[in-house]
Amino acid sequence: MSLGGYNGKILRVNLSDGSFEVDPLPKSWVKDYIGGDGFGVKLLFEEVPGGTDPLSADNKLIIGTGPITGTMWPMSGRTVFISKAPLTGIWGESHVGGFLGPELKYAGYDMLVVEGKAEHPVYIRIEDTHLELCEASHLWGSTTDQTTINIKKAHHDPDIQVAAIGPAGERLVRFASVIVNHARAAGRTGMGSVLGSKNVKAIAIRGHGGVDVYDHEGFFELAKKAHRRVRENPQAREMGKWGTWILTAVKQEIGELPTYNHRTGVFPGFEKLTGDYIRPRFTISDRACFGCSLGCKKVNYVKTGPFAGTLEEGPEYEGLMAFGSSLGIDDYATTLKANQICNRYGMDIISAGATIGFAIEAFENGVITEKDTGGLKLEWGNREQAIHLLEMIAARQEFGNLLAEGSKRAAESIGKGAGKYAMHVKGLEVSGQDGRTHRSIGLGHATAARGADHLRSLVVVDQLGYEDVAAKRWGADKLPEIIDPYTEKYKATAVVESENAYCIRDTLIVCWYSVSWPPIFWMEDFAEMLPFATGVKHFGSVKNLTEIAERVVTMKRLFNKREGITRRDDNLPDRFTKEPMPEGPGKGQTVDLDPMLDDYYRLRGWDLKTGLPTEETIKRLSLEWTKAHS
Amino acid sequence: MLILPSQLVVDYTKCTGCRICELACTAKKEGRFQPSLARLKIVRYDDLGIDLPNVCGPCETAPCVDICPVYAIRRDPISKMTFLDNDRCILCKSCVGACVNGVILLDTKRMRIIKCDHCGGDPECAKACPTGAISYSHVSVAPSLDRHDKISSYLREIERTAQESGGAE
Ligand code: SF4
Ligand code: SF4
Repeated sequence: MSLGGYNGKILRVNLSDGSFEVDPLPKSWVKDYIGGDGFGVKLLFEEVPGGTDPLSADNKLIIGTGPITGTMWPMSGRTVFISKAPLTGIWGESHVGGFLGPELKYAGYDMLVVEGKAEHPVYIRIEDTHLELCEASHLWGSTTDQTTINIKKAHHDPDIQVAAIGPAGERLVRFASVIVNHARAAGRTGMGSVLGSKNVKAIAIRGHGGVDVYDHEGFFELAKKAHRRVRENPQAREMGKWGTWILTAVKQEIGELPTYNHRTGVFPGFEKLTGDYIRPRFTISDRACFGCSLGCKKVNYVKTGPFAGTLEEGPEYEGLMAFGSSLGIDDYATTLKANQICNRYGMDIISAGATIGFAIEAFENGVITEKDTGGLKLEWGNREQAIHLLEMIAARQEFGNLLAEGSKRAAESIGKGAGKYAMHVKGLEVSGQDGRTHRSIGLGHATAARGADHLRSLVVVDQLGYEDVAAKRWGADKLPEIIDPYTEKYKATAVVESENAYCIRDTLIVCWYSVSWPPIFWMEDFAEMLPFATGVKHFGSVKNLTEIAERVVTMKRLFNKREGITRRDDNLPDRFTKEPMPEGPGKGQTVDLDPMLDDYYRLRGWDLKTGLPTEETIKRLSLEWTKAHS
Repeated sequence: MLILPSQLVVDYTKCTGCRICELACTAKKEGRFQPSLARLKIVRYDDLGIDLPNVCGPCETAPCVDICPVYAIRRDPISKMTFLDNDRCILCKSCVGACVNGVILLDTKRMRIIKCDHCGGDPECAKACPTGAISYSHVSVAPSLDRHDKISSYLREIERTAQESGGAE
């Protein structure tokens, strides 16, 4: 049987000796892992042993695609960066939109594995079968946009897709990102510093080939139908107009707009961070990622004020939160400027904002003093100061050097109980949700493989009251509790099933939007499409896909087990479990994590005491082989 | 004055740069997904947030027709669409250089010229475009002059912002 969708090739570059190697993609991987995250966890588990220093030559960085990357399936242009994470020391992955992954497929490869460490700065150039390491000393120190333009010019080809790190990645800022297409960030967990530690400034890809699916006519028709479903979906159309800014007002209304470092969920100045306010004043164009008919990206221009002249895409809702409400800043232009700096210098806007928020709150409580900050009086709502701190982090300059380590490490080195103000799980800063007003995300933040993650299991259906969808997915008998944001009951069911569907999403790879929200495509749609794309009949059943998802989720857990993660680490900052939400519709709420964790482990087949996969589960998912790599 | 019946009409302000049109084009014409062989091309300026669809036509005087030494590219007398007669083509590549929209290609693998034929009057790209940035409709010369104006003002804007930001693609 010939496989559709895949190239059947893994490209490896060994930076230490400058060699390239093309390995065949093991056929056995396809049925068990599909692609994307699945291939990534398999390879990383086997090849990066427990205890490896993420910033050492022994760590590896994987750029992954899936079987439908580069085809016309809606929103299938996404790419994943996978590595052991410098920010957390555990499983790390970061997905990004843009055009990189499809180009890698057109060049003829399914994955790129970056190994070893170069002696001096290089960039990796891939043009079909032409593979080379190019000198990049002249680019070291330059921003991601300069680097991108420079590489395109050097090779006289505007269609090269570049993934670049900025000065933050070079300086090993723990939450450094990789940037593609100027403003799309593989932001979380510090993938940029992995490349920085390997002396890789950029990866430049150009491919002239194509992707052949198994049944072209059938797939093409199905893809067109799928695009129509996106185009006709009213929520997707709204999303196309407002992007993720649509969330600000919703979050404020339900009292879940993280404000003052997650102290509260209500922000008086929220209006200036809403789509209604921003779009007519700042937006100059709408853009999309590869193959996307929704188009959530907005390019914006600031005409007046201290940040006049800023032309930049974004930020997403998370950026509005991280540099807006969370720092008490009611000014869109500041968030755009922060986004620009994060993109150019290569940093994750969520972790950057949260680490600054941590510092401000610690300062307010006398745990950080002017002696630490070099005379800066940290305060909420100070726009210029927030931007200044961000620049100091990118440069690892003075106080910025401490913050560049992320909130967990910074709190540890300050001591004096500073950890109380560091909002992270397993070292990853908490994203723009709050378990107190949305219980299922409390569980999601606590259990996700990479730390406080909003992308692997965030249930939207419960919070936004999609009763019919909830009944269809989880059974009408679980209503109304399962969509009640203030109760722990049934939340593990919703989280596990969503995590499974999103896991398949991340193996394909498709975008969060259209799967996670609005709820357009789900498991049954993937089960219908995948056999056309790949020819693998096994993918044609939701049951089989669910088993693959369980396998991949459990493997990430086994990866983290090697690093010492157990139930004890599946925790939330005390703020969410002990400090009641002070105001708003969720006033008085806290998260009771333990009953949800019990349910979650039970559904996953993980031990209730340790939170680790049981022997039986390991056997059921055919993961005995992992024991040889413990 | 030549009256052009239906043509591919572009409104670049609507284009999001998703390249679904390139995918749909090659899905139909090549039986696979291969944007490098698409009969149209989206030029994306990531740093300016601008995307420009380049399609075949509308050309009142078509340089490809004029330049072809063996009359392999001609204009259909009824649809006015310019088309390539592969049997006559000697692969001299003159048309590739002459096309003002840069959408005539030489496929070096299979050694053939690739040129848009408006899908015989039912263009796949226009059907696939989710934003209406490409449509297939009747144009007179006026809109294409209009298009020229728009693009010039656009280029001026690119230059201006490039100078402001101190470097552009
Ligand atoms: S009209 Fe047909 S051949 Fe021409 S660009 Fe559109 S899809 Fe391609
Ligand atoms: S399909 Fe339409 S919106 Fe997308 S790139 Fe093509 S012309 Fe632009």
